[in-house]
Amino acid sequence: MTTKTVKVSLLQFAKLLPANVVLTLWSVLIALPLYVLTVSCFKTTSEIYANPLGLPTSWGIANFVSSWSTAHFDRYTLNSLIVSVGSISLTLITGVLASYPLSRLHRWWTLPLTGYFLAGIMIPVRLGSVELFLLMKQLHLLDSYLGLILAYTAIRIPFAIYVISGFMRTVPVEFEDAARIDGAGHFRILWNVMVPQSRGAIAIVAVFTAIAVWNDFYFPLLFIFNDSLKTLPAIVATFTGQYRTDWGPLFAGMTISIIPMVALYAAMSRHIRAGVAAGGFR
Amino acid sequence: MNNLTVRPGGGRYVARRPTEWASRLRKGKNGLISLAFMLPALAIYSTFLVYPMIRSLVGSFFSWQGIQISEFAGLANFWRVFSSSTAAAVGNAFTHNVIWFFCVLVGQNIMGLFFAYLIHRRRRFGRVLQWWFFLPAILSPVLVGSLWRLLLSPRGPIETILGAIGIHTGPITWLGQSDIALYILIGIDIWNWVGLPILVFVAGFGGIDPKIFEAARVDGAGSGRVLFAIATPILLPSVATLSVLAFINSFNQFDTMYVVEGLHGNPDGSTDVLVALFYRFAFGSAAGSGRTDIGVALALGTLLFLFVVLISTQMIRFFERRNARLQ
Repeated sequence: MTTKTVKVSLLQFAKLLPANVVLTLWSVLIALPLYVLTVSCFKTTSEIYANPLGLPTSWGIANFVSSWSTAHFDRYTLNSLIVSVGSISLTLITGVLASYPLSRLHRWWTLPLTGYFLAGIMIPVRLGSVELFLLMKQLHLLDSYLGLILAYTAIRIPFAIYVISGFMRTVPVEFEDAARIDGAGHFRILWNVMVPQSRGAIAIVAVFTAIAVWNDFYFPLLFIFNDSLKTLPAIVATFTGQYRTDWGPLFAGMTISIIPMVALYAAMSRHIRAGVAAGGFR
Repeated sequence: MNNLTVRPGGGRYVARRPTEWASRLRKGKNGLISLAFMLPALAIYSTFLVYPMIRSLVGSFFSWQGIQISEFAGLANFWRVFSSSTAAAVGNAFTHNVIWFFCVLVGQNIMGLFFAYLIHRRRRFGRVLQWWFFLPAILSPVLVGSLWRLLLSPRGPIETILGAIGIHTGPITWLGQSDIALYILIGIDIWNWVGLPILVFVAGFGGIDPKIFEAARVDGAGSGRVLFAIATPILLPSVATLSVLAFINSFNQFDTMYVVEGLHGNPDGSTDVLVALFYRFAFGSAAGSGRTDIGVALALGTLLFLFVVLISTQMIRFFERRNARLQ
C-alpha cells in the first residue's frame, strides 16, 4: 500500500461522491413513503400524528384485523383477485389462440388483421367510456365481475397479440412439422409445441396484465356501484376521501393492496425487464 | 401434358405439383380453422373496445337527450365545446395537460438518462438500484396518490421532516395552493413512473459497445460529454418511444389528480385535466353539483382523440427523421 494508491482511490471516491449522493437521495425518496406506509400500519391514528416517522411502540396487528374484517378488505381483495385472475386467463387464452394463425399463416387477411389488433395499443380507451358504459348497461354487465373482465381483456388483447405473435414467429417451423407428421392436429400443436416454446412471452403478458388490472381504478369507478363488488384501488380512492380521521386501518388496507404486486415483482422482475425491452409498458 | 412441361427450376415443379395441391387444400381448411382460432379475441376486442370507440366518435355528431341519442346535429356539439362557458374550462384543463407533458418529458429524459448512466457504471449495486428505482412503477397511481396525499397533509410526515431539518417551518399547505398544487401532482407522477425510462435507458446503455465510451474517454471527454454527445444520439429511438408514451400518458391523466385533488381539480380547478373534464360532462360529478352533457363530452372526446393520435404520429415522424439524419 503506497500513498499513491491511497491518493488515487481517494480521488476516485471524490469523483464518484456527487453521483453517489444523488443515487442515495433518490433511493431515500422512494423509501420514505414506503417506510411511512409500513410503520403506520402498526400505529394508532394519534400515534401517527404525534410521531409519523418513528417506529411504532408495539407491532400489534390491530389495524390489519380492523381493515381486513371491519372495513371488508377481505372482500375487496377477493374481488381484485377474481377480476385479475379472470382477465389474465381470458387475455392469455384469446391472445394465444389468435396469435397462432396470425404468426404462422400468410394469407391476404393476416397483415390487415394484425394491424387492426395492434392499433388498439395506441387508442386512448377512456375516451370511449360513455358508449362502453351504455353497452355494459344494455348487456346487464354493470355491477358484475364479468363486465370488468371483458373490458380489461379487450384492452389487453392488442399487447398480448403483439408480444405473443412476435415470439411465435421465431419458433422454428420444423418443430411444428415434426408434430404434424406424428399426427397432431392444430390444437395439439398449439398446446404441445407453440405454448411451451413461447413461455417467455406468455409470462410477460401475464405479468403486465396483472399489474394493469390490479392497479386500475377507472373502470370500477364507472361500472361498479355496489360497494361489495369494488376492487382494491377503487376502495382505497374512496377511503382516502372519507377515512381522514382513521388513518391506521387505511394504511393497513393500502399495504394489503400492494403486497401481491410487490411479491409478483420480486418473483418476476426478470420478465418485467424483458417486457419493458419489448416495449410493453403503457 | 402441361403438367409435364419442364420449367426453369427443373423437375421439381412437376414433382411438387401434387403436394402443392394438397397443401392448398389444407390451406383452405386452415383458413377456416384459423378464423375460428381468432374469433374469441376478435369478438371481445371488437365488441368492447373498437365498437364503443367508433360509436363515441360518431355520436359526437348527434344531439343527446340524457343518455338517449337523438338526431344528427352536425358540428353543434363541437361549437358548444368552444362556447364561452365551456371554453374557459377546456382551455384551463388543456393548459394543465400541456404543462404536465413538458415537465414529464424533460424530467423523465434527464433523470432517466442520468440515473441509467450511473446504474450502468455500477456493476455491483446497479441491479439492486434498478430494482429499487422501478418499484414505484408497479404500484397503482391511486395508491401512490393516496399515500402522498397523506404524507403531504398538514401535521403529516413531510411537514415533520422538513421542520426537523429546518428547511420549512409551520404547516405545509402545498396541495391547497393553486400555484403549486399542479407541480406537486406532476412530481408525484414522476416519482411513480421514472423507473420506466431508467429501465429502458439501462437496457440501451447495455447495448452500446463499451469501446465507444473508452475511445471517448481516451480523447478526454468527461462524463457529461460522454452522456450527452455520445450516448444520447445512440439512445434516440428509446427517447422517441418514451416521449410519445409520456405524451399519451400526460393527456390521459386522471387517477393521480382524482385521488389527490378530487374530481374538480382543487383548489379552484388549478389541477383540472381534460379526462376529468370529459368524465364530469359524461357522468356528472360525484358531488352532484355538475350536470351531464353527453354531446359535449363526446365532442370533447373526439377532439382529444384526434389531437392525441395526430400529435403522437407527428412525434414519431419527427423522431424518425432525426434518427435517419443521424445515421
